[in-house]
Amino acid sequence: MSLLLTLAWRNLWRNKRRTLITSSSVFFAFLLATALISFAKGFQQQLTESLIRQETGYMQVQDAMYLEEPSMDHIFEYGEELKKAIGEIGSDIDYTVPRISGFSLAARDITTKPAMVNGIDPEMEDRLRNLSSNITEGEMFSAGDDYAVIAKGLADMLHIRTGDTLILIGQGFQAITATAMFRVGGIIDFTIPELNNRMVFLPLGEAQNYFAAGNRLTSLIIMPEHDEKICKVAERLQEMLDSEWYAVRTWGELMPDMVELMQMQDTVYRLITWVFYVIVGFGIFGTIVTMLYERMREFGIMLSLGMKRSRLAIVGLVETIFIGIIGITAGFVAGIPLVLFFRMFPVRFTGGSAEYIMNFGMEPVFPFAFDPMIFLEQAMAVFLITVLIGFYAMRKIYRTDMLDASRQ
Amino acid sequence: MKTVIKTNGLSKTYTNTAVPVKALKNINLEFREGEFTAIVGPSGSGKTTFLNVIGGLDKPTEGSVAIDDVDISSMKESQLFDFRLNHIGFVFQAYNLIPVLTAMENTSFIMLLQKRPKKEMEERAREMLEQVGLSDKMNVRPSQLSGGQQQRVAVARALASKPDFVLADEPTANLDTESAFNLLDIMARLNKEENITLIFSTHDQRVIERARRVITLVDGEVSKDEQFERD
Repeated sequence: MSLLLTLAWRNLWRNKRRTLITSSSVFFAFLLATALISFAKGFQQQLTESLIRQETGYMQVQDAMYLEEPSMDHIFEYGEELKKAIGEIGSDIDYTVPRISGFSLAARDITTKPAMVNGIDPEMEDRLRNLSSNITEGEMFSAGDDYAVIAKGLADMLHIRTGDTLILIGQGFQAITATAMFRVGGIIDFTIPELNNRMVFLPLGEAQNYFAAGNRLTSLIIMPEHDEKICKVAERLQEMLDSEWYAVRTWGELMPDMVELMQMQDTVYRLITWVFYVIVGFGIFGTIVTMLYERMREFGIMLSLGMKRSRLAIVGLVETIFIGIIGITAGFVAGIPLVLFFRMFPVRFTGGSAEYIMNFGMEPVFPFAFDPMIFLEQAMAVFLITVLIGFYAMRKIYRTDMLDASRQ
Repeated sequence: MKTVIKTNGLSKTYTNTAVPVKALKNINLEFREGEFTAIVGPSGSGKTTFLNVIGGLDKPTEGSVAIDDVDISSMKESQLFDFRLNHIGFVFQAYNLIPVLTAMENTSFIMLLQKRPKKEMEERAREMLEQVGLSDKMNVRPSQLSGGQQQRVAVARALASKPDFVLADEPTANLDTESAFNLLDIMARLNKEENITLIFSTHDQRVIERARRVITLVDGEVSKDEQFERD
């Protein structure tokens, strides 16, 4: 085997320039592909993290029917069974965020607008998404307070300012009519219009009273200690709860559209990387074809001397794989520090673009993910291409007519 | 002396040409151990075809070739690879060394394919390179050697594995007079010392004058088979 490896390696350097150019094309394709995928993954991670923080959390306990029919009829009791189950999971859960949410009509004077009324625990919401940092007027309530915080867009539509009274009319638990008046103690500014024109926040207890829901919730967000334990924690929790009443759903189940969008993005990025590789593949193929034709006579002589076709074919395969390995190794050497650098010191957006991105609760940067699997996957892709081209070289050598080749 | 090669009614016709070409016609020859034979004849007389057929590189259309009483004309390709590797040495007109290997590695090449023990292989390769006067060029690649030196490495390669016989297809054709004489001296000496059967195809009078047996082919047929006493 060492003879075959020696032959393959030295053959590669018979034309240094050609080998370097071909390996460089593999290197650049590998580098571009890993950078592109690292950026795409980084962006997805940032977007997911933002959506998880702003919307669903990593997982939620809900009423078993709530996802299909999100109404006050399908809220669940935050009682001993649930608290005990969470307690048993213990240190795998970092913290929980209780919420009760439902649509109502918000009114002042003769103006009425639809609103999403959210009963929240302000401390836990701050821990999850730093909600109170968006307050632009007044202040966020504490657990014992009884006033409302209203989103700026809705406040503008209703012409409400802090100190004014907000009237809420809606449907509570078991079709009870919910009506209440709350003093507005704070105005919160969401730059996402959908949130800004709809949101009303109440202390959790006040909202439960308003909806006549007792200690019931629409969702209990569970934030695990470690992200990678989401599925494990969800499974364990579900096992401990009566599935007739409770459903534990991960963020992927709660935002299936987002998961689909990410999968679609993944597919697009993979397609782009494969375009790189196909172009590079043709480059390698061209080099190998030239190398084969240049050495036909030599192949004929080696076969004449008694070298078996299989051994000579392995030399052809190994040469092709070496080209890939040189490109991949260079790609690893340059790519890992590059991705790590952009992960630690990401390029920042500035001006309007930065503000726009921050509106979505995201940091205004080009985020890069560092995942060894990205490098391994790309390495495997290049390896696969070189092996396929290597098979062509093997086939060519197998079909070489020994005497014809020797006479060339 | 035992018979190394025996051909019986050997014929070869090329049919992949516009008109079928009869390159060899009913050749019956025997080559004995230790012979130094020159196959001579004009271009197109069938010298190279004869060497290819007795070397297992090409198959006869009719007749047979027996080497050490083993009929190689009916062997499969994979068997022929092994047979050539273990029984026959080749020296080509254009040297045909492997350019990426050093003189030492080229000399060891056949033994490497035979998977001989490393120590034995190195000792034999070194010995052969000393025999051909290239002990100072062991680690040099073919591109840094003259034509004569390359052909001497090719001879060392062919003889290093101690084959039953060596076929040399016009080995001096590309060499100047001094290199050709030098090579012939080496081959004659090795023929005697190693008792290896040498069969040359050649136009070269210098080779013919050194051969103890000269077979003349004309139009694919043996026209003369002469023996000479040489020192």
